[in-house]
Amino acid sequence: MADFLSNYSIQKWLESCPQGYLEDTVYGHGADEREPEELLKNEQFREAQIRTTVQLIAGERCALAASSGLINAAPDAASKTFLATQTLDEGRHVEIFTQRLFDLGIAQDDLESTIKTYINPNLGKFAEVLLEKVDKKDFVAGVVGQNIVLEGMAFSVFEMLHATSSDMNPKFAHTLAGTIADERRHVGFGENRIGELIRRYPEKKPEIERMQRDMTKHMLATFHDSFAASPLAAASPSVAPGARKSAGTYQGLNLAEASNEEMEGALSSVVLNEFKTRLGRIGLEYQSPV
Amino acid sequence: MSNQSNPHELGDADFHSTVHSFEFWFEAVEGYLHGRPYGVSPSTKDVELDERQREGLITTLCNYCVGETAALEASSGMIRFAPDRHAKIFLSTQVVDEGRHLEVLLHRMAQLGVAEPEAEIEKRANRSLLKFKDRLLDFVDARDWEASVLAQNVILECLEFTVFRHHSGTADPVTADMLRGIVSDERRHMGFGENDLGRRLLMAPHTHDRLHKIKRELDTLVLDTFEETLGELGVDRAERPDLAGDYLAAVARLGFRS
Amino acid sequence: MTDPLETERPVQERKPRRSFELEETGFNEVPKRFRKFYRRWRGPGDTLGPNEALCPVCKVVIRSVKELRAGDRVYCMPCMSRLELVEEDGMLLAKVIY
Repeated sequence: MADFLSNYSIQKWLESCPQGYLEDTVYGHGADEREPEELLKNEQFREAQIRTTVQLIAGERCALAASSGLINAAPDAASKTFLATQTLDEGRHVEIFTQRLFDLGIAQDDLESTIKTYINPNLGKFAEVLLEKVDKKDFVAGVVGQNIVLEGMAFSVFEMLHATSSDMNPKFAHTLAGTIADERRHVGFGENRIGELIRRYPEKKPEIERMQRDMTKHMLATFHDSFAASPLAAASPSVAPGARKSAGTYQGLNLAEASNEEMEGALSSVVLNEFKTRLGRIGLEYQSPV
Repeated sequence: MSNQSNPHELGDADFHSTVHSFEFWFEAVEGYLHGRPYGVSPSTKDVELDERQREGLITTLCNYCVGETAALEASSGMIRFAPDRHAKIFLSTQVVDEGRHLEVLLHRMAQLGVAEPEAEIEKRANRSLLKFKDRLLDFVDARDWEASVLAQNVILECLEFTVFRHHSGTADPVTADMLRGIVSDERRHMGFGENDLGRRLLMAPHTHDRLHKIKRELDTLVLDTFEETLGELGVDRAERPDLAGDYLAAVARLGFRS
Repeated sequence: MTDPLETERPVQERKPRRSFELEETGFNEVPKRFRKFYRRWRGPGDTLGPNEALCPVCKVVIRSVKELRAGDRVYCMPCMSRLELVEEDGMLLAKVIY
C-alpha cells in the first residue's frame, strides 16, 4: 500500500506536472497561442464556446469543492497529500477555464452572471448529489463520486473536445491536453485506492451505487441539454466556423457529417462504458438510471 | 496597463489577481523547489546525529507534522466557504503547500529511522498544539471565515514561520535545507491571512471584539507550544530568541493587544 | 471611499530621486521577472539601501528602481502585502496597508 501511494506523492506530482507538462505554459497553453480570430468574430459560435466553457467551470468548481472537502475525511496521510495535489489541479482548472471566458470576451465583472445565465441546471443537481456525500465526510462514497464518476465523465468530455479542437483551435486543445493529463492521475487514484476500501466496507455498496445512479441520470440530462441547446454541434464548439468540415473523427464518427444526436449518443456511450468498466474493477455494479 | 515586470507599478487589482493565481504560485515554487527532491538539494550532505539529538529532532518533527496536518485540513476545509474566486484559488495552492510540508517531514522522519510515523506522532505530540488543532477545525466546521483565517493563516502560520526560521539556523544541514523551503511557502500563507483579515477588520470593525476573544483563548496554547518546542530543540532558556515577539507583532498590526 | 494611495500626492520632494539598476540577488521565491525586486534580509546587521525597505510581515527586503521616500507605495510579492513607507524618528519604515 505504501509503495502504491508513493506514486501519488506531491514529489511525483511536482516532477510530472509543474516541472513537467505544464512547464512554459501560461494558463495551460503556449504563451503565443490565441483563440482563432474567425471564431471571435462570429457571435453564434462565440456564444456556443461560452456556453461550453461555463459547463467546464461549473464541473471544475464542483471538483474543487469535493476534492478539498475530502481531505479532512481521508484515512491516511498519503491519501490526504494526493487529494492536496488534486485540489490544486482542480483550482488550476477553474482558473484556466475562467481565463478562457475572459479570452472569449467576457468582462471580469460579468463572470458570475455569465455563469448563471449559461449553466445547465442538471449539472448543478449532479454536483449536489456528490457534495452531499462530501459534507457528510463519507470518504469512500465521496471518492467514488468524485474520482470515478465526475472525473470519468470529465475525462471523456475533455477527450472529445480535444479531438474536435486539435486542428482548428490549438490553444484550447493545448489547455485540454494538460487537464486530461491531470484527470488520468485522479481516476487512477480513485480506482486504486477505493478498490481496497470497497472490499473492506462492502456494506457501503448499495448507498454508493444509488449515488452513482443519480449522478449518471443528471449527467445524461446535461449531455442531452447541451447538444440540444445549440444548432451547432455541441461537441465541436471549440472550433471555428467551417472547421467541422476539416475536423477528424471521434469514436468512428466523421465530425464533418455527424448530427448532434449522433455525437450525444457517442459521448454517452463512451462515458457509460467507462463507468461500467471502472466500477466493475473496484467491485461495484453499474446502476442504469433508466 | 502598468509595467508588468515592475511589481511596484501594478495597480491594486492587478497586484491581487496576480499574487493569488495558480500561475504566480507555479512560477514562484519553481524557483526554490526545482531539482530539490523532498525539498532538499541533492548536494546537501547528511550528518550523523547522536542519540539525544536524533530523539529531540524526531519529537520536533512529530509536532511539525501535527501543525502541518492541522493546516492541511483547515485550508482545504476553508475552500468551500472562501468568499471569492481568488481566495479559493489561493487556498488551493496553500493546500498543496501544506500537503508537501507533511510529506517532506514524514520523509525526513523515515530517514531518521522512524518506521511508524503515525504512532510516533500520537506518542510525542504536544497537548497544547493538539488542542489548538481541535479549536481551529471547530472554526472551519462552523464555516466561520474570519475566525478560521485568524487561527490558521495568522496564528498558526506565524507560529510555524517563526519556529521554522529559527530552527533552520541551528538544524543539521538536511533538516535546515528542508525547513528553508517550507519558510518560503509560509510567507505567502501568513501574508494572505494578515492582509485578508486586515481588510475585513477595516470594513467591519465590530468583528474585532469577537476575534480578540478568540485570539486570547488561543494565545496560551500558542505560547505553550513555542516554549515546549524550544525545549525539545535544546535551546537554553536564557538563549531563547523572542519567538513570541514576532507573533505578537503580527497580531498587534491587526490591532490586537495582549 | 477614496483609497489614499490611489490619489495624487502633493509634491514634497526637493531633490530629484536617484535611480538604481537592479541586479539579481539570488532571491527565488517569486516568478523570475519579479525576482530582482526582492532580496533576503541578512538579520539585524543588514543595512538597507536608499531604494530598499524591509517587509514587516515576512522579513524580505523590497527593492525599487528609484530611491524610496515617505508616502511611497510598494508591494511585497512573497507575502502579498501592500505597504506604504512612513517616516518615524528619522527612519523610513514600511507599514502594511490592508
